[in-house]
Amino acid sequence: MKLVFRLAILAIVCAAFGAQAQDRVIRIGVLMPISGPGSYFGVMGKEGIDLALDQLKGSVSGYRLQVQYEDSACSPLQATNTVKRVLDQLKPHIVIGEECSDASLAIAPILEQAKVVQLNAGSVTMKLTESGYKYVFRIFPNGEQQGLPLGRNAYTKLGARTAVLLYEKTNAGVDSADGFEKHFVAAGGKILARIDFGRDVNDFTAIATRIAALGKVDVLPTFGLEGQQVRLSQALAQARVVKGGGGSAVQMGSIWLPYGYDQKAGAAAEGYIRIVQFDPTEKRKIVQDFVKAFRAKYGAERVPTHINAHAYDTMLLVAEAVRRGATDSESIRDRFSRFRNVEVTTGKISFGPNGQTTDLSVIHFIETQKDLSWKGLNW
Amino acid sequence: MNDLLALVVQQSVNGVYLGCLYVMVALGLTLIYGVLNQINFAHADFVTVGAFAAFFTATRFATKVLGLPDTGAYLLSMVAALGVGALLGLAVNAAVFAPLRRGDELRPLIATIGVSVLIENGQLALFGPIPYQFDSPFSRETIRIGRIFFSAQSVLVVAVSAAAIAALYAFMRFTFLGKALRAVAQDRETAGLMGINPNLVIALTIIIASALAGMAGALLGPVVVLTPFTGASLIVKAFAIVIIGGFGNVQGTIIAGILVGIIEAFTVQYLGSGLIDLVVFVLLLVMLVLRPTGLIAERKEENV
Repeated sequence: MKLVFRLAILAIVCAAFGAQAQDRVIRIGVLMPISGPGSYFGVMGKEGIDLALDQLKGSVSGYRLQVQYEDSACSPLQATNTVKRVLDQLKPHIVIGEECSDASLAIAPILEQAKVVQLNAGSVTMKLTESGYKYVFRIFPNGEQQGLPLGRNAYTKLGARTAVLLYEKTNAGVDSADGFEKHFVAAGGKILARIDFGRDVNDFTAIATRIAALGKVDVLPTFGLEGQQVRLSQALAQARVVKGGGGSAVQMGSIWLPYGYDQKAGAAAEGYIRIVQFDPTEKRKIVQDFVKAFRAKYGAERVPTHINAHAYDTMLLVAEAVRRGATDSESIRDRFSRFRNVEVTTGKISFGPNGQTTDLSVIHFIETQKDLSWKGLNW
Repeated sequence: MNDLLALVVQQSVNGVYLGCLYVMVALGLTLIYGVLNQINFAHADFVTVGAFAAFFTATRFATKVLGLPDTGAYLLSMVAALGVGALLGLAVNAAVFAPLRRGDELRPLIATIGVSVLIENGQLALFGPIPYQFDSPFSRETIRIGRIFFSAQSVLVVAVSAAAIAALYAFMRFTFLGKALRAVAQDRETAGLMGINPNLVIALTIIIASALAGMAGALLGPVVVLTPFTGASLIVKAFAIVIIGGFGNVQGTIIAGILVGIIEAFTVQYLGSGLIDLVVFVLLLVMLVLRPTGLIAERKEENV
């Protein structure tokens, strides 16, 4: 009888420990575009997160990281429906995503109401962190943070005086163009035209013709998805507008554009100048370790893009918050708010009072050379 | 040539080229409607399949296995895309369209949406979402006549479109099968009583339309952003063209396609590229109100 009693107590203790182990989970919803024209964001994002999970062996400080990927298709409607389902079924402590600004804006108020942290690593729109949300954090530089160096350096370093803004008709495109215009005009530059385009535009010859007819244009800030940027650059080269086609205008781009664009655009990419936040050739140990691990997992010929790196960093930040004692959404929010110079591949993260990353120390300019390699500019 | 004239000529050239691309996509769509009275929502996905078939033939098989030069590889890829399109049409007709044709008209219509989703997601699983860079030797060459420029690819697009239209016209007018096809379009039952096998003719129509879609894909691949969703960005415009031209009317589709291409080019120049869809669909609404039969309204048997 005594033995039975002892066994019963042992069983209860084991069950209690088991239940506790089961409870020690950080549930992470990942909303990414896995279908539609922006789906390369989702594929690359998943690669980055999977790599981080491998390295963490799926847990931190005794907490299992439970990740659930969902397709939000870069679409506000689909993202809204998906986040509601994720909240209902997964009951996440944190949601990573979306990549596209319009979709990120759509889910922000829903997560705010549910008091679940949203960690964003790919949206540009100012509204995401300027709308007073308390649960939104972003490690991607916003339109203003990118527009300031782009607009100012276009005027001062490049010597540009006239610009034509080319951007997709989304919150991201508009905010990026606004950011450039504000600082370029403030420096003394003149905007000759603002040309927007939908994501369904396939042929850019007419746009290139219009720009060629505007006369001398010094700089063409361009904000769009990779595929459209490739075709746009080729059309501009064909119209002899940009350097890659024998013209004089310089195309300028933002962090948005992934590594690999140059190879796809070919000769048309020559002379393209852009700011980068993630540079696979950067010497910091964390970057080189990431590149090495990425190649080991996905193939020696692969070069990680900023999308891979940003997604990888989101998981590192969640892990760091858990290491610092976060156990639920409220405490993750609290730890994020207190982050100071947490080193990741895309910089050293400190969030401002609005949840926006404030450190831009690793951002630098590069120019595409004739052989399509990158040359760092000392701007 | 003064600046304004040069600009007008250049945008007209851009528009005609763009219009020919649209015509190539819309031609098969209107052909199927003309004969079957059926809308094929999966048609633009057949175009994407053709583009991928051409891409892999040109960049993998023709150059690496057969050792062909770039030009030969691309021309072979066009033939391959034509063949893959035809085979896809044959398979989809046998598996989906033919069995559903016996019921009401709505079922095949819904089925085409299902086929579209299936093809898009199948391609997504096979090829992934990252845009493919498909350049032909013609897309890299720019031809300049005075101040006017265009790519060799655009000349190819216009030439192949014209050849395809001429071949289709000759087939319809001067061959027995073409006459049979028109007879089925006019009256399926009576054509059957005259010894024509309507099912065979319908299958042939779908195969021809799909082959044209495959060919369009080979031409479009080096021009557009090639992803599994390329077709989805074209289908709405293709439908607008078919409606403006007169549903099922091949001549109307050709005129409407080129008209829409030119309108797009001048919209970009004078109003802004963000207003392209607005202008095209206002034109569509105006056509539906003022001339619901489309630009060219003929008797049904004359349509195809």
